[in-house]
Amino acid sequence: MADLQRITDVELERALRDLGPRYPYPPTPNLASQVRLRITAQPVAQPRRFELWRDPRRLALVAAVLLVLLGAAAVANPATRDAIAHFFHVRGVIVNRQASPLPSFSPVTPLDLGRRTTLADAQSSVKFNIAVPAELGAPDAVYVVSDIPLAYTPRPSIPLVTQTGLGVLVTEFRGDVNPVFLMKGLGEGTTAEEVSVNGDPGWWISGQPHMIYVEVGGQGQSVPLRLAANTLIWEHAGVTYRIESGLSKADAFRITAGLP
Amino acid sequence: MEGRPLDDIALVERARNGDVNAYEALVQHYQELAFRVAYQVTGNAADAEDAAQEAFVNAYYALGRFRPGAPFKPWLCRIVVNEARNRRTSAQRRTVLAERALVAQSSGDSAQSPEAAAEADAFRSTLVATLRTLRQDDRLILAYRLFFDLSEAEMAQALSVPRGTVKSRLSRALARLREALPADIRMPSPAGEHDG
Repeated sequence: MADLQRITDVELERALRDLGPRYPYPPTPNLASQVRLRITAQPVAQPRRFELWRDPRRLALVAAVLLVLLGAAAVANPATRDAIAHFFHVRGVIVNRQASPLPSFSPVTPLDLGRRTTLADAQSSVKFNIAVPAELGAPDAVYVVSDIPLAYTPRPSIPLVTQTGLGVLVTEFRGDVNPVFLMKGLGEGTTAEEVSVNGDPGWWISGQPHMIYVEVGGQGQSVPLRLAANTLIWEHAGVTYRIESGLSKADAFRITAGLP
Repeated sequence: MEGRPLDDIALVERARNGDVNAYEALVQHYQELAFRVAYQVTGNAADAEDAAQEAFVNAYYALGRFRPGAPFKPWLCRIVVNEARNRRTSAQRRTVLAERALVAQSSGDSAQSPEAAAEADAFRSTLVATLRTLRQDDRLILAYRLFFDLSEAEMAQALSVPRGTVKSRLSRALARLREALPADIRMPSPAGEHDG
């Protein structure tokens, strides 16, 4: 044994190197998921989304806070003004302009749309009438989760959407009672235009793909963030309808013919 | 390890262009380092976790200012330390005692006799406790070099000092550690020093 008082730097370094792997660090927490969430889905206070939804006063407060956060610069910019202040016109949907450059995502295909089923079975599981676009006819696949996704594969007149691996994705859910939330984050190249669909208020979101985050129920069940293509979204009689496709605005509107 | 900087350069470049998956891969690779560097500063796990998480978020938004091709690791360390320094709390003192107990149980050198293992544990416990009494800068530079294996160039970047300064600071930190160790402490017998 050597007397430590005579220890050289080399020996002390060796002792420290030996200690390194044994140093009593607490277990490393998994930071990746939290960091990802924070850099992708910034604004709204998540745990309160559903309470907010049911309390108009709180909702207005959050809207006001968001407006402040988005800032005067955003309000002054015509490209971003569109998304501000309108995000509660369609129930169950929050449209939100991202303050920072929109993240990119690897395509999530095939999408996890829930349990595949028949139209009849899907209908029996919800209390609203599932509407099938006459323009598209019977869907190629029907799913049931908290919302009802109707999937259409690409056709000559319907281009493939790389974000979904589908041609058209129609989603229907009860925006008034079913606590499904679509968070839509728009980047610089995306425009959001307020529209009227068969007389009901809605949104046409187009241009660069936008970010979508779906949260279902109050149980924390959520669908991963992904990028979404052009989307027409509106609400009628408590049911929110969403059509995601690579179609133009005019073609997307054509699909709404016959829908509520 | 040698291939890592090249991976980093590619991942950082993708992340700079907004690829969240690429950035998540960087976080996964460096989260242990970030947490441990933060822990060296804060002395408690909760603050270290907060600091590391905040550092990764801040680093993401600072990627636009990150020089393409520059090493990611020391840049991240600098951000982590800045965050951690903002979070040091009085909980640090309590942690020293907890660490002393923990390190005593951490030895797994089955090749050593029980006596030698106990001696090595005692030595390491004392080393950890003594490290904790050092100035934060000394502790950090020793950890960078000897725990986290940063090169001198990386340390210079992480500490924002010239390379020559790194050498002198390291030397002074070692000297202060030696002085701070109990006078009667002895080096453990070298029986268990083989590296597995």
